[in-house]
Amino acid sequence: MKISALRLFNVKRFAGRGVALEGIGDGVNVLCAANEFGKSTSFEALHALFFLPHSSTAGDVRSLRPYSGGNPLVEADISTEAGRFRVTKQFYGGRSARIVDLANGRLVAQADEAENFIAGLVRDGSAGPAGLLWVRQGVTGIEKRSRSEEEGDTRVRTSLLESVQGEVEAVTGGRRMAEIMAATEEALGKLVTPTGRARTGESYAAALEARERLEAEERRLAAEVTALREALDGRAAAARRLAELDRAEDRDGRRKAVDAAQAAFDAAKTQSEALRANEAELRLMREQRDAAERDLVAFRNSLERAADLEGKLAEAENMRREAVIRRNETAAAAASARAESDAAEAKEQDSRALLARLDVALKAREAAERLAHLEQRLDAAEAARRQIEDAEAAIALLRMPQDSVEELEAFDVEIARLRAIAEAGRPAVSVAYEPQAPMIRLDGSPLNDGELRSFEGNASLAIPGIGVVTLRSGPASGQDERLRQVEERRRVLLGSLGVDDLAAARRRLMAAQSKEGDLRELKARLSLLAPDGLAKLREEAAARRAAAGDHLELKEDPAQVRAAHKAAEAERLAARQALREIEPMQIRAADAFVAVQTALARLDAERTQIDSVLGPPDARTARDRLLADRLANLEAGLSEKQTVVDGMKRREIDLASAEAALRRVRSVVEAAEKEAASLREQIAGLAAEIRARSEDAIEEKWRETADALAAAKERASACEKEVAILQRLRAALDTARGHARETYLLPVMSELRPLLGLLFDDVSITFDDKTLLPHKILRNGQEEDVERLSGGMREQLSVLTRLAFARLLAKDGRPTPVILDDALVYSDDDRIEKMFDALHRQARDQQIIVFSCRQRAFQALGGNVLRMEEWVPG
Amino acid sequence: MAFRFIHSSDLHLGKRFGQFTGDLPAKLREARHASIGKLAGHAMSQRASTILLAGDTFDTETPAPDVRRQALSEMGHHAPIRWVILPGNHDSLQAAQLWSTLRAEAPENVILAVEPRPTELAPDVILLPAPCTTRRPGRDLTEWMDEAPTPDGTIRIGLAHGAVQSFSEEGTGLDVISPDRARRAGLAYLALGDWHGGVAIDPRTRYSGTPEPDRFKHDRPGEALLVELEGPSALPQVMAVETGSFVWRTVALDLFDGEDAVARMETLLPEARLRRQALITLIAGGRVRLEARAALASAIANARPDFAHLDFDDRNLATECQAGDLDAIDRAGALREAAEALLAEADDAGRPAAERAIAQAALARLYAYAQAVAP
Repeated sequence: MKISALRLFNVKRFAGRGVALEGIGDGVNVLCAANEFGKSTSFEALHALFFLPHSSTAGDVRSLRPYSGGNPLVEADISTEAGRFRVTKQFYGGRSARIVDLANGRLVAQADEAENFIAGLVRDGSAGPAGLLWVRQGVTGIEKRSRSEEEGDTRVRTSLLESVQGEVEAVTGGRRMAEIMAATEEALGKLVTPTGRARTGESYAAALEARERLEAEERRLAAEVTALREALDGRAAAARRLAELDRAEDRDGRRKAVDAAQAAFDAAKTQSEALRANEAELRLMREQRDAAERDLVAFRNSLERAADLEGKLAEAENMRREAVIRRNETAAAAASARAESDAAEAKEQDSRALLARLDVALKAREAAERLAHLEQRLDAAEAARRQIEDAEAAIALLRMPQDSVEELEAFDVEIARLRAIAEAGRPAVSVAYEPQAPMIRLDGSPLNDGELRSFEGNASLAIPGIGVVTLRSGPASGQDERLRQVEERRRVLLGSLGVDDLAAARRRLMAAQSKEGDLRELKARLSLLAPDGLAKLREEAAARRAAAGDHLELKEDPAQVRAAHKAAEAERLAARQALREIEPMQIRAADAFVAVQTALARLDAERTQIDSVLGPPDARTARDRLLADRLANLEAGLSEKQTVVDGMKRREIDLASAEAALRRVRSVVEAAEKEAASLREQIAGLAAEIRARSEDAIEEKWRETADALAAAKERASACEKEVAILQRLRAALDTARGHARETYLLPVMSELRPLLGLLFDDVSITFDDKTLLPHKILRNGQEEDVERLSGGMREQLSVLTRLAFARLLAKDGRPTPVILDDALVYSDDDRIEKMFDALHRQARDQQIIVFSCRQRAFQALGGNVLRMEEWVPG
Repeated sequence: MAFRFIHSSDLHLGKRFGQFTGDLPAKLREARHASIGKLAGHAMSQRASTILLAGDTFDTETPAPDVRRQALSEMGHHAPIRWVILPGNHDSLQAAQLWSTLRAEAPENVILAVEPRPTELAPDVILLPAPCTTRRPGRDLTEWMDEAPTPDGTIRIGLAHGAVQSFSEEGTGLDVISPDRARRAGLAYLALGDWHGGVAIDPRTRYSGTPEPDRFKHDRPGEALLVELEGPSALPQVMAVETGSFVWRTVALDLFDGEDAVARMETLLPEARLRRQALITLIAGGRVRLEARAALASAIANARPDFAHLDFDDRNLATECQAGDLDAIDRAGALREAAEALLAEADDAGRPAAERAIAQAALARLYAYAQAVAP
């Protein structure tokens, strides 16, 4: 919807006159005029046209009238998707509402239908924000309805919420919703906790508690009443029974029965005692008779037995005799076998001793032979040892130091070498003789032709024919001295060796070596004779000599001796075997003798006993007769007594049953008395119980409690129902509000955000996602609480919120004008400018009508400037 | 010579009324005791010599000593009027102790009819009592009356307690008294007790009802019967006399849409002065608008202090809801949406009745809250 013109007549200050605002266009329209110029009147008139029923005479309508009275008329031209219409309303006198289609001047609707038409325009569906895009001077939301300003700071935030949420209020139910919700919560809170449990101390909990308490109490009392009734019943039954027991004729009957039973019992008792005496006598007689009979039988049995014993004794005597013979026989046989065995044993022992001696002799002879042999070896060894000693003595004479011969040889060689050297150094002479020339002599020895002869010192050469030539040479060389030393040493050595020369030394050496070979041979012989040494050999010989005893002379042949021993051994074994066979026979014979002797003794004892029973044999017959007579007498007496007792028994009264009968009738009496006593006790006890309970008024209390329980149950269920109702209501409200929030509030918030950005470039507001309240303001990077918002900011927020709503509606295909009546009184010019930027930006597809008195501030803001014109309704 | 007597029963002395709170139970209890004096007063003024109490004089088999003693004292005070007390099912002979105590304590003018034996009340007037032997005797205790011998020309009056046909206060109906006992036993009158509302079985057989009502069942005032017998075969002349001090009533309030519910309720309720002695159960039915319902609820709340007890049962009262009613909650927005959701639920025939009732009540509550907060 868009408004293109507004006309009013006879409204408030315009008594009897009319004004019109024509040409209201799209975008921002500004009616800027000083206060009291009529712009607020225009605003109110417009508001009345859309929101007040023409028939209303409410305060808002009354305030439209001029002081002079009259009938206010308001008219607006609007355009909608359906076309352009003129909406006219007149209040009070001639009240009317009309819608005229401007296209054809046709009356579309009037009166209530016209109101419906208007309602459709502003509301357009029940859930939309109805005509709330109106902002009044200094009113940022719906604060005018609240007492918030007086209620102080705590309400600031709420009112701020409302300033932002102002539009949304209607959608979410607003304050009424909040109050109804609060009322519901309060009512519910009085009954249950937030978790749905009955709240302690409140009526619901009290009702539940009362119900529980009364249920328990009722149960308890019901049980008591049951007990009481049982007691009453028990008492009645007991009393009835007691009365029966106490009836006089019954008592007498019981007494008489006891007396009769007592008499019967006494009679039976007397009779029974007599019988018992006779029976005792009978028992005694029977015993006597039995004894007599036993005696007789015993006597006769003894007779028989005595006869039997005689035979047996004779037989036993025979057996004893035989046993004695047998015993003696076996004893003799055993003695001879034992003697044989002993002889064989002795013989065997002798032969064994001989055999042992023979062995000893043989061994001694062997030892003597071995000693002789050893002596021979010892002698040989001794001889060998002596030879060795001689040889060693001889060798000791011959022995020279090992290297002395070699040294001697070395001396000879050296001497020879030194002589040769001396020879070579000495002047020599030789003579070559003419044929037949005389022989020259040198130092007297002829010098043969060509023979070179050396000399030492001076030599005289006697030349026959010529004279004697003396040859002189230089003094003797060092060689000669050395030779002399060596020769001296050789001489010493020879002297020490005791030989004349090297050859003699060599010969001696040879002789020594030959002697040593002999010695080695001797030593080998000795070692052969005495491998462990001579001393050992000597010890051995001494030992043997000592061991060698006297030589026994062996006359017997060892083989013979051995065979004899063997035979003796066999003989011994055979003898022992025979003895072993005979011994058991002897034992058996002895045993048999003992057995037969014992049997004989036994029989003898028995006979002695029987004889004592029977007495002397000649009195036996008389005794037998005596015993038989006695038995017969006793038999007779017994049968007589038996007849007497049987007769008494037949006549006897049963004492036991008489006693039982007496006991029974007595017990009847006793039981009756006992029961009566117990009943009296029971009655007394029950009576006390009943009295106690009736004094406590148990039954009354029970009935009272049962009634109270019924009432409490109703109360509790009423409370439950109340809780259910309130919970259902709360759920319905929650759902509706949640739905409204989702449908409108959240989209509006998202519309609002960019608008806020336009206006407050230095401020950003965060919204709490849950409560949808402005949460924090971020101004210049500083976080502030929303409570800090100034009045200017609040009104700006308020305007922006409405713009956001309008945008939302426009997007929804329901464009709606935003009308601002001095909505920016707190804002500074700068802010208003920014605001107008926002408005212009917004106004591209949105009609905004601004009423303002701030002419200067609004002058430069642009927009379609509206002017008031005089108007007379046509 | 005519024989006049008062026939009453079911005094239920000592009954406690635990379903109520405050001092009402005490008042009701006191009223029961006061009925003794009222009966005596009627006997005195009507020149009746005898008061027959047909059972259940005491509420329990073991009444508290004060109840018993005070009752006997009150009866004794009204001598020479004679009281005949018959054991009923509440105070049967099973309570031997009660009856032995009563025997010991009863003043001379109190006769205990504890044995089924002809008892002379006056010359030529014989009482045939049928005392309850136990709480549930399981047989017709009046049977002996048929054979009970009395001299010719005597007026035979039967006195019994129990059910005839369906008139059983306890609803057991096993020990039914033969309805034609009076005819069969040649009784001039059979005075019955047990049924708390007075009713005539035939001209000679009647329940007197209780002199002081104790429940909403009967919707009858507390009364006793004044009976006059001219002779053995003459029909009894019976007249009811008022004895009750409290009125117990069930009031049906059937409403139609558009009716002024409050006004209608006012016409149905007793006048203001009588309300103090009135226990009323107001059972509303039919249909009302939201507004009327709210108004009715507040009117009831307003009227309640007038009464001894006022119960309002609106379980069967349906709420009619129209668009205008929802407008009164809100024309638009979330409140309207919530109201419409509740209304839809209340009208949804597919839902369980309990849920619909809750939704309807929630809507009514929303309406009430909406009226309470500023528009």
